[in-house]
Amino acid sequence: MLGSLAGVLFDGLAYGMLLFLLSVGLSVTLGMMNFVNLAHCSFAMVGGYVSVSLMNRFGWPFLATLPMAFLAAASVSVLLERGLYRRLYRASDLDQCLLTIGIVFVSIAAYAWLYGTEQQAVEGFPPYLRGSLQFMGINLAAYRLFLVLCGFLVTAILVASLEYTRFGAKVRAAVDNQRMARGLGIDVDRTFMLTFALGGGLAGLGGSLAIEMVGLDPGFALAYLVYVLIVVSVGGLGSIGGSFAAAIVLGISDMAGKYYVPWLGAFLIYLVMVGLLMWRPQGLFGKR
Amino acid sequence: MPLLELRDVRAGYGDAVVLDGISLEVPEQGSLAVLGRNGAGKSTLLLTLMGFTRLKRGRIFFKGRDVSALAPHRRAQLGIAWVAQEREIFPSLSAEENLTVAAHPGPWNLERVFRLFPRLAERRANMGNQLSGGEQQMLAIARALMTNPGLLLLDEPFEGLAPVIVDELAGALERLDGMALILVEQHTELALSLTEDAVVLERGAIVHRARSGEFAHDAPTLERLVGLKIA
Ligand SMILES: Nc1ncnc2c1ncn2[C@@H]1O[C@H](COP(=O)(O)OP(=O)(O)OP(=O)(O)O)[C@@H](O)[C@H]1O
Ligand SMILES: [Mg+2]
Repeated sequence: MLGSLAGVLFDGLAYGMLLFLLSVGLSVTLGMMNFVNLAHCSFAMVGGYVSVSLMNRFGWPFLATLPMAFLAAASVSVLLERGLYRRLYRASDLDQCLLTIGIVFVSIAAYAWLYGTEQQAVEGFPPYLRGSLQFMGINLAAYRLFLVLCGFLVTAILVASLEYTRFGAKVRAAVDNQRMARGLGIDVDRTFMLTFALGGGLAGLGGSLAIEMVGLDPGFALAYLVYVLIVVSVGGLGSIGGSFAAAIVLGISDMAGKYYVPWLGAFLIYLVMVGLLMWRPQGLFGKR
Repeated sequence: MPLLELRDVRAGYGDAVVLDGISLEVPEQGSLAVLGRNGAGKSTLLLTLMGFTRLKRGRIFFKGRDVSALAPHRRAQLGIAWVAQEREIFPSLSAEENLTVAAHPGPWNLERVFRLFPRLAERRANMGNQLSGGEQQMLAIARALMTNPGLLLLDEPFEGLAPVIVDELAGALERLDGMALILVEQHTELALSLTEDAVVLERGAIVHRARSGEFAHDAPTLERLVGLKIA
């Protein structure tokens, strides 16, 4: 029983890390730039399919595809930002929603056409990530351990780059007061573009890490949008620490729900969300 | 060649015209006081220099270059630094980050602005929104200095400050060696004592030009144009 509890906690932690990677970029762009990008999980899907293609068609090792997934999703998000999103920075939330949900449907159709609608099977996934190891009597799947490590690593890098670098200070300055930031010589458009690329790239990374754990098909862009929005709203807009905490709480409650209260199943995560939001309407770490 | 030159500038917000027919020059290392009553267009003049208003006619030259169509951040990078009337400190940045976020290498660095405003050194770790009004004003000026500009635009830097702090700031402004200055101010006497030339704005147009030293003694004109505000 205790062993299974630890196992559920661990699996929930790994799942939470995946949710964190998928959602942290949205938290940054939504919280800092006030842009409602419902197509965030489409960026994740770009990353996922890049990894699948590189592995299956070109025989790349899985780990080598991860930076590519990041770069591809970051590039796509920059193209969309330059071409479409920036025109709507001052538009209403509804306009932003309509545009980005349209992009979600386009991306679903495009991937269904290119790759078919079935779940992608990956060949050549590295065996050392498929195995498991024993730790104090608990069976830890190697891949989930890997996800947890990735989650901590990304958090550390992100917090460090937004809180302790000059780039991060520019982002915060531009969010605080665009006009003053420009007046001091900060290239606000470029700063936002890079922030957007970072958020999109992290989603791409999340998308390709998700394949092994939850699978990948064209419905991903919509299916995971729900989870990502839950994480962002529970965590609080623009708060990296909040997203991190929310993703872990939700990941663990989802796993625990499926394991201990199967009749509630996947519904538990929504109860947790409602409970947390009633307790803290601005999210766990939200400022607004 | 003057450092800054405006030729027949007409500018405003949207369709509204606020400034009309403004021509002026500021020489290298020169200093200009911009006086005028509330709503005369003083802030709009500075905003126009930065590129935040709509320029409808005329040209603006800085360092011999036509900057009329340049984006605000490019003008700032060329060496125009603006201290807004409302100070506009970044609340999510610490005092030190406010200073370094847009800093440009040059003679003004952290050490030197902290020597100028020792109080800021004590507050360097405080967030922008935890500073008093006077500290925010010092920080706004120091932040502009950190970009090592050729021209400093100050919009009513003494507004609402305690007299001791006004003295401290005024003292600091006398030690800006080498930087040109445009000072918008309602403390007429102080503004004239800190500058070489002066213009008076009224309803968006320049209605009087004078050497600051002579203007300070021209009480009738001062009274007529700005309403005496001599402490
Ligand atoms: N953002 C804006 N949009 C439209 N009109 C504006 C705007 N800002 C200022 N104005 C108008 O432009 C005119 C000049 O305003 P400005 O702020 O430049 O005056 P000022 O001389 O700086 O006054 P004060 O001494 O009160 O600061 C005023 O009539 C004002 O109502
Ligand atoms: Mg003003």
